Amino acid sequence: MIKVEGLEVSYGQTRALWNVSIDVERGEAVAVVGSNGAGKTTLLNAIAGMATPQKGQIFYDGRPLAGLSSHRIVRQGIAYVPAERELFPQMTVLENLELGAYFNPQGKSSLLKFMFTLFPRLEERKRQLAGTLSGGEQQMLAIARGLMSRPKVLLLDEPSTGLAPLLVLEMYRQFHQLREDGLTILVAEQQVPTALSFADRAYVLENGWVRLSGKSKDLLDDPMVQRTYLGVA
Amino acid sequence: MRANSWLRFASIGAVGVLLAVIPLVVGGSSFYMRLATVMLAYMTYTIAFNLIFGHTRQLFLCLGALAGASAYFSVILTRQLGLPPWGTIPLGILLSGSVGAVLSYVSVRRGLGVIFLGIVTLAFSLVFHNLLLGLREFTRGETGIVTRGLGLGIMEDRFSGYYVFLAILVLSLLLYYLLVRSRVGLAFRALSDDELSAELAGINVTGYKVLAAFVGSALLGTVGAFYAYYNGFVGPEIFSIVSIDTMVLVMLLFGGMGTLLGPVLGGAVFTVVNELVRPLGPLNLLVYGALLVILFVLFREGLVVMLQRLVSKPARRHVPEPPPAVVTGPEP
Amino acid sequence: MIPLLVDGVVLGLQFALLAVGLTLIYGLGGILNLAHGHFAVIAGIVTALLISAGVTVPLAALLGILSAGLFALLIDRTLMLPAYRYKGENRLLLGLMLTLGLSLMVTGLLNFRFPQTALSLRLPVVSVEIFGVTVRTASIIVASMSLLAILSLLTFLRRTTLGKAVRSVVQNETGAKLCGIDPKRIRTLIFVLGGLMAGLAGVAQGLFSSVGTELGMELTILALIVATVGGVRSINGTLAAGILLGVVNAFASFYIGAYLTSIILLVIAALTILVRPEGLLGHLA
Repeated sequence: MIKVEGLEVSYGQTRALWNVSIDVERGEAVAVVGSNGAGKTTLLNAIAGMATPQKGQIFYDGRPLAGLSSHRIVRQGIAYVPAERELFPQMTVLENLELGAYFNPQGKSSLLKFMFTLFPRLEERKRQLAGTLSGGEQQMLAIARGLMSRPKVLLLDEPSTGLAPLLVLEMYRQFHQLREDGLTILVAEQQVPTALSFADRAYVLENGWVRLSGKSKDLLDDPMVQRTYLGVA
Repeated sequence: MRANSWLRFASIGAVGVLLAVIPLVVGGSSFYMRLATVMLAYMTYTIAFNLIFGHTRQLFLCLGALAGASAYFSVILTRQLGLPPWGTIPLGILLSGSVGAVLSYVSVRRGLGVIFLGIVTLAFSLVFHNLLLGLREFTRGETGIVTRGLGLGIMEDRFSGYYVFLAILVLSLLLYYLLVRSRVGLAFRALSDDELSAELAGINVTGYKVLAAFVGSALLGTVGAFYAYYNGFVGPEIFSIVSIDTMVLVMLLFGGMGTLLGPVLGGAVFTVVNELVRPLGPLNLLVYGALLVILFVLFREGLVVMLQRLVSKPARRHVPEPPPAVVTGPEP
Repeated sequence: MIPLLVDGVVLGLQFALLAVGLTLIYGLGGILNLAHGHFAVIAGIVTALLISAGVTVPLAALLGILSAGLFALLIDRTLMLPAYRYKGENRLLLGLMLTLGLSLMVTGLLNFRFPQTALSLRLPVVSVEIFGVTVRTASIIVASMSLLAILSLLTFLRRTTLGKAVRSVVQNETGAKLCGIDPKRIRTLIFVLGGLMAGLAGVAQGLFSSVGTELGMELTILALIVATVGGVRSINGTLAAGILLGVVNAFASFYIGAYLTSIILLVIAALTILVRPEGLLGHLA
């Protein structure tokens, strides 16, 4: 469904991605793991149209995404939940969600109900201003807003950041549910065990390179991964 | 760098000599002499604006008002109290310098951005204009006040008037040059780039901005006051926004903000342009408006910088090398 | 006293109508439109020309207002492009300069082509009596127009999806893009809305007294004063400030005189910037 080939992205003089290629098939859950500065955010930004690659191609459903601006990419069915969440602080939870369905307003009310079953805490706070929510609630709101556009693919950048472990578990449980319903998910994470236990496959990014890739099970057994990311001697 | 400063210093002299020769070239025609004198005045106005806006990013939209404040103050004092112009002109200069300094100080303390400062100074301009029209007993409203030379016969004929303004211009250029190449100039550069960083680096941003505003406004006041006596007449329209502010803005943009000779070039070019455009009547505003837009969009750095680029050797292009591959790919 | 107060409020509502377009473009579009008054003048001139060509007054007025909106569309898609490439203060500065240039161009052009043209509408029923106070029908119409327009604008922004999309672009442009909202289209919408409001104000001015080419800069300054006092990002504030300054204007011109009245308004604006830059009711509508 998403195919990234030979991607090179630089910010000014600094190179963030060197010849990165990844694949996400329809219905898969794929993780991109790596430490800070490995290039995970850059990769997701490039797919979502927020960063322009110097070289390489990105294909969605076989069609190239070259040069499309981010609001167009969203309309193609790719929803992006960035690490900063980018909510509308002076609008209510409800309004934020409604805007998520801006270009796809059919069935908005039933979709809203569904969101509230996924994230009951959001329903409690639906008339509250988004800027006053806690970190975890903002994260849930950002994800829900992304889902309101009824995407085919969901891109998530470090969704577990700043969340209590229980909440992270809960969240990934929801992701699993969504996956069962047919959503394709690409998630970037620093928390390697969580990501690997959720995703079918994963790529390990290091300094802008794909260091390793494969099925999560295999990666979990890989000695390098264990040493570097799982803290196992 | 040394050679550079000598070049700049010498260029001031060159400009002075060049301009000094103009009366001879022009052959004493009173029309052209007047035009040239007005040109000198505008060049100095532009140097002042260069200091205020070009170097410290303070958008003063009240240049005419500052010049006019000095002019009117001096003329009214002379008229009402019978003081000689030599006495009242410094007072006028002091007034406009102080007003400029206060505007600057207040805006820095209140943390006003460029826009809000622009609005406040615009308001000041309009208040000044309305005061001129409203306080008839002092300013004689639209009719204006008639003046007579500086006494001692100076400025009562067109040649001496020209040379007085030339002297003012050259002194202003020198002042600008000395200021900019000193520590003050360094501070200006730092704070116009990033005020917060400059402040954190220990530069007294408030002090330098107010200094620039004071010096610039005092310059405006100097030209304004002398112009009042040269012109033989002061009236509200002489110091209006359209007369002065828009012209100076275009001159500075064209010549090059932050440069020494930019104001001189801009002043010269636009004095000519102004004359060419005059027969168009109200359409001349169309031309100036269009120029303003074009300058701000395409030509932001100005003529001087462009010329400098043509003249000096093109700087060796800094080609960034790809960083050495720290991490090689996974062994196959 | 009462007649003065009524005059002041009506005048104030018209001030508010004039200023609200400016607030819209500044607060939501990030551009200080120094050509705002000229949009109003353009609407007035077009209306006047249409009327003298035989078009009925209401239709001419509508077309005049639309022409202001059309002009705004044209300007947004051409002149304003360089400004939109920047954000924040740089955009404000560039926008200010570009619209300043535009205002000069429009003034020059209008003074050249239509120096004598002015819009001045006379109503069949000149005045009515309400509670013993004689009120001009023009005043009633203008006041209601103004209130209606501003309230509609507020409702649009608060209640409709498109209005919320507009506010979203201002609050978080990236977030808006993530919702599939095109910031460029929204900015054009804002600019055109602002232009339409200015056009409406121009026609209202023609109803109230007259609007001619020379009024452009004066109207812009007035709008700027009201918008500043009300808070350049707050439509509610603009409404309140308009009424307040209208009343001040009415009383001051009566008791003190024209020049001092202008000075008072200007000083109030300057003081607002110095003392409470967010304005009377500062924050986004």
